[in-house]
Amino acid sequence: MNTEATRQAKFNQLAQTYGTDLYRYAMWICGNDALAKDLVQETFLRAWKAMDKLKDPKAVKSWLITILRREYARTFERKVPKFTDVDKVVVPEDSELEPEDRTEIEMLRQSIQELAPKYREPLLMQVVLGYSCQEISEALDISKSAVMTQLFRAREQLKSKLRKDGVTGNVHELF
Amino acid sequence: MSMNFSEFKRLLGAEPRSGDPEFQRARHSSPEFEEAAADAERFETKLERATLIPAPDGLMKDIMAISQQPSEPAKSKGWWPLALAASILLAVGAAGITWNMNRGWDSVEDYLVYHYRHDGEKLMAQVDGGTASDVQTILAELDVQASPALADIIGVIKYCPTPDGKGVHMILNTETGPVTVIYMPHTRVTDGEMLAFDNVEAVLVELQSGSAAIIGPDRQLISSLSAIIQDSLVPVPGNS
Repeated sequence: MNTEATRQAKFNQLAQTYGTDLYRYAMWICGNDALAKDLVQETFLRAWKAMDKLKDPKAVKSWLITILRREYARTFERKVPKFTDVDKVVVPEDSELEPEDRTEIEMLRQSIQELAPKYREPLLMQVVLGYSCQEISEALDISKSAVMTQLFRAREQLKSKLRKDGVTGNVHELF
Repeated sequence: MSMNFSEFKRLLGAEPRSGDPEFQRARHSSPEFEEAAADAERFETKLERATLIPAPDGLMKDIMAISQQPSEPAKSKGWWPLALAASILLAVGAAGITWNMNRGWDSVEDYLVYHYRHDGEKLMAQVDGGTASDVQTILAELDVQASPALADIIGVIKYCPTPDGKGVHMILNTETGPVTVIYMPHTRVTDGEMLAFDNVEAVLVELQSGSAAIIGPDRQLISSLSAIIQDSLVPVPGNS
């Protein structure tokens, strides 16, 4: 296989491995389907052009996330996208779920959108990207203990919102 | 020293699936700890479920198409210099552009430069001389249709962001080479306005419904396409 073909194969592997996660993450941070797709494509475009600079394969995911976050920050400087599309693109709720569970999940989704960015972003990094507290700390350039506090508070706020909105069921067992 | 319950709850709230050995030991140290961990796990399952978003159709294909481009070192893509360059090169004819300033990009020109740099070359690379499928289906979602003659030369078509919502990015196979058309269903422009950026020229045209930007290598080509696009990209009958 020639060099260009090897590069392409490597890039396609990256796309397959991280494309969906990046889109999900982008969708949750910007809340806009068209912009999320744009961010992901721009991220991979930059990754393609700079792929030869990547020496540590283990760093691929955080490298891509860093590109995406920078790109989003650049976009965000120019405009505040409307956070409106998440409900349109989420997986339809399983009809086999209990109505109570469906309600909880829908309220959770709404509550995540309402979280302050400083809570929402680390939470999404953990839940959507599978990041550890240490990885979040490195990505956001804040201390690990600060990350842990933000994650704890994010979850507390979500649980509190569910409780306040009168959702019954399993969530109540958490308190 | 073993972890107390308060500390354990705090860790559960921060990293409920931590593999830390001390955390794992604590988890199984008493029924109270186990119950709290089980509750946290139920919450995590719901959280995961709530955040689940599938990749949109075509995303992977679009990403992989990037690798068809020549690989070159990333170039700096400062936005403001670009916007400035675009505005300097504007051949502004009549009055200022009709623009709704609260839509995000500062102007339609800003949007075009930005978007074309994102997707322009990449989509051009996908043109293979054939006709794209689903042309009318995609356009119909935005309440417009292409005349058969136009539909026949649309080689690539995809939804794209525009300053005012979803639009369509098309590559036309013309006799003199590929030309980009970006349909903006809810954006108003000054008809006939020209701009130039990078190595391309663009003309903005008002349509019966919405507007379009026609982008190509030379002014004569895109100007000649203006009238054709205006006549050929029209509202679906019955929709205003």
